[in-house]
Amino acid sequence: MSHDIHPYIGFEEYSEHVPQSIPLAVQQATTRFVGGRAARVAELPQWEQLRQIGSDIRQHTLENMDVHLTRLEEKVEQAGGHVHWAKTAEEACRIVLQIAKDHNVRTAVKSKSMATEEIELNGALEAAGIRAIETDLGEYIIQLAGTGPSHIIVPAVHLTKEEIAALFSQHLGIDAPADPIELARIARETLRAEFLNAEMGISGGNFLIAETGTLVIVTNEGNGRMCSTMPDLHVAVVGIDKVIPDWESLTVFLKLLARSATGQKLSTYTQFITGPRRAEGEFGPKEFHLVLLDNGRSNILRDPVGRDVLKCIRCGACANVCPVYKNVGGFAYGSFISGPIGAILSPQMLGTPTARELPYASTLCGACADVCPVKIPIPTILRHLRRRVAQGDEFAASTMPIPIRVTAMFASIALAWNWVYRLGARLLPIINPFFRKNDWLSGLPYPLNRWTKVRPLPPFTATFRKWWNVRSAKWKDSTR
Amino acid sequence: MNNPVIDNVRRSLGHTAQTPLVARPAIYKPRLPEAVDSEIECFLGEIKKLSGVGQRLASSEVDSALQTLLAEQNIRKATVWETPHLRQLGITEILNSCGVELVSPNAGKHEMALCDLGVTEADYLLPETGTLVLRSSAERPRAVSLLPRIHLAIVRPEMLRADMHQVFAEAKDHHYLVFITGPSRTADIELTVTLGVHGPRNLFVWMV
Repeated sequence: MSHDIHPYIGFEEYSEHVPQSIPLAVQQATTRFVGGRAARVAELPQWEQLRQIGSDIRQHTLENMDVHLTRLEEKVEQAGGHVHWAKTAEEACRIVLQIAKDHNVRTAVKSKSMATEEIELNGALEAAGIRAIETDLGEYIIQLAGTGPSHIIVPAVHLTKEEIAALFSQHLGIDAPADPIELARIARETLRAEFLNAEMGISGGNFLIAETGTLVIVTNEGNGRMCSTMPDLHVAVVGIDKVIPDWESLTVFLKLLARSATGQKLSTYTQFITGPRRAEGEFGPKEFHLVLLDNGRSNILRDPVGRDVLKCIRCGACANVCPVYKNVGGFAYGSFISGPIGAILSPQMLGTPTARELPYASTLCGACADVCPVKIPIPTILRHLRRRVAQGDEFAASTMPIPIRVTAMFASIALAWNWVYRLGARLLPIINPFFRKNDWLSGLPYPLNRWTKVRPLPPFTATFRKWWNVRSAKWKDSTR
Repeated sequence: MNNPVIDNVRRSLGHTAQTPLVARPAIYKPRLPEAVDSEIECFLGEIKKLSGVGQRLASSEVDSALQTLLAEQNIRKATVWETPHLRQLGITEILNSCGVELVSPNAGKHEMALCDLGVTEADYLLPETGTLVLRSSAERPRAVSLLPRIHLAIVRPEMLRADMHQVFAEAKDHHYLVFITGPSRTADIELTVTLGVHGPRNLFVWMV
C-alpha cells in the first residue's frame, strides 16, 4: 500500500454514519476483553514491572534494529530458511507470488496476519489466479462477506449468527443453521480439506527471535499450526518491527500478550519455528521462507517521538478501552489497523495527507496508554501527529486547509509579540459597528465566517488588560 | 551484500555497519518452583480451567483409564508417538487389544486426519498456565497433537519446569517447539466459546 494509492481515510464522514449494530457488537467484545484483562492483571503482582521491562526491551530493539535484523537473517539462513527483504508492499506481494509460481501453487491457506492485510496480499494472489483462503474462523467469515475486520481479535464480531449462517449457506451450498457451534463445525470440515490439499501455507508472525532465527506464531484455533505444518511450503510475511533480541526477552512478551489481548494467561497454541522440517516424518514444510517487510517502517524510525508506535505487539488492548473506537468500530479507521494504535500508525505509514483525520480520532483521555503492555505513549504521539498535520515538520508537510493555516499563522505572530497583540486588541473593535447585531457579531467575511456561520461571536473589546490590571492590583493589596 | 532495508534502518538511526550492539535491559527473576505435589496440582488445575481433563494416574491404572476413554469417546482409529516411555506403558498394545485401528505417526496427512485419537508425551510442562511443551522429530511428529479430534498427553512430574525461562534455556536450539495450552478454541461467532475449531476438541492430560 504505497502513499499514492491508498484512498483518503474519511474518519469523520464515516463516523457520522456508523450502523447501530457496530457499537453494540463491538462493545460486547471490548467489555469481555477488558474484564478478562483486568482479572489476569490482578493475579500478577509484578504486572507493572513486566510492562516496564517490556517497554524497555522494545525501546532497545528499535534503537538497535539494524543489528538484530542482521543477526536474524544470518540465523534463519543457517537453519535452512530463505530470507527475503521487501522495501514496499508491492515488492512483498511480488516476492510471495514468485515463490508461489516457482512451486506451482494453486491454493494457499492463510492464518490471520496483519502484515498480509497491510500489503493486500489476497488481492494480488487472486489476480494471479491463486486461491487464497483465510482460515481463522473470523477472517474466513469476513472473507466470505467481503468486508474488513471490525475488531483486531474478533474480526467478524459485527455479524450475527443468522447473517453468518446465510453466508455459509450461500457460499457452501448447504443449509447452515444459525448456531455458533454448528457453524464452527462446518467451518472446521470445510477448511480441513483446504489445509490438507493446499500447496502453500501463508502466515504472519508475532515475534522474530534474532538469537536463533525463530518465528513465533500465537493462535487459539490451531489454524496457525495447520498453515505452518500441513503444506510443504510455508511463507511468513512479517514486519521488521517484530524482531526481538532473544528468548529471554520473549518470556516477557508472552506473559504480556495474551493477558492484554483476550485475558488468557497464554493463547492456546504458541509455535516456535526455526527453519524447515529436518525429517520427513515429523511433518512441517520442506521449505520455509521469511519475507521481511519494511513498507515505511524504517522511515518511521527517523522520528524519535513517532517511532514508539513500532513497539506495538498487536494485542488490541488500546482499542478495547478507547471511547472513540467503542463507538465507531474498526471500519472507521480505513486501514488494516484500527483503534488508537491505528490512529498513530496509519498517518506515519500512509502519510498525513491520507490519514490526517486519524490523530483527531481521540479524546486524548489516555486510557490506551494506561493499558498498553509496552507503554507506548499514545496520547503524546497523537498530539505530535496533530502538530505535524497542522504545521508540518521535517517528516511531513502541513495538510491543514489554507484559511486555518493563515489564521493560525497570524495568531502565532500576534501572541508572540506583546506590542502586536496590544495593537491588534486596540484595532479590532473598529470593525464592531459593521457586523454588530444587538450584543453579538455575526456574518463576518471569509474565512472568519467559518465561526459566525454556526455561532455568534462577542464583540471585540480591548478590556482584558484593563480588567487584569485592576484585578491584580486588588490581589496584591489583599495579600500585602 | 547490500540490503536497502537495513541500509535505511541504519540511516534513520544514524548507525553504520560497525555500530556495536548495546546490551539489552535486564529481565526480572523467573518464578521459583514449589514442592512437586503443589506444582502438579497447579498444573492439572489450570488444564481443568481451560476445559481440558487432567488427572493423576499410577502406571498400573493407565490400562483401565485408556479403555474407559476409548469407550466413552467412541475411538476407532488412533496414532501414537513412538517414544520409549509410551512403549514402556504399552499404549499401542492396549489400543490393539481393544480393537482400535492404529495409524503410523509418520503416515500421510490425509490418513492422520481420520484418526480419532492422537497420543503424545510432552517435553516440558508449565504449571502456572497448564501448558504442554512439545518438541518435534521423526518419532514425535507434529500432526499427532493437531489432526485427531482428541489429544491425549501422557506426562511425568520430571517434565515440570517452574517458568518459561528454564524451558527456553533448555530447548531454544531445537528447530520446532509448540506450547499447547488447552484445547483448540474460538469465540469468533457472537463471542460464543467453541472448542475444537481446527485443532483437537478434547484435551486429556494424564500425569503418571
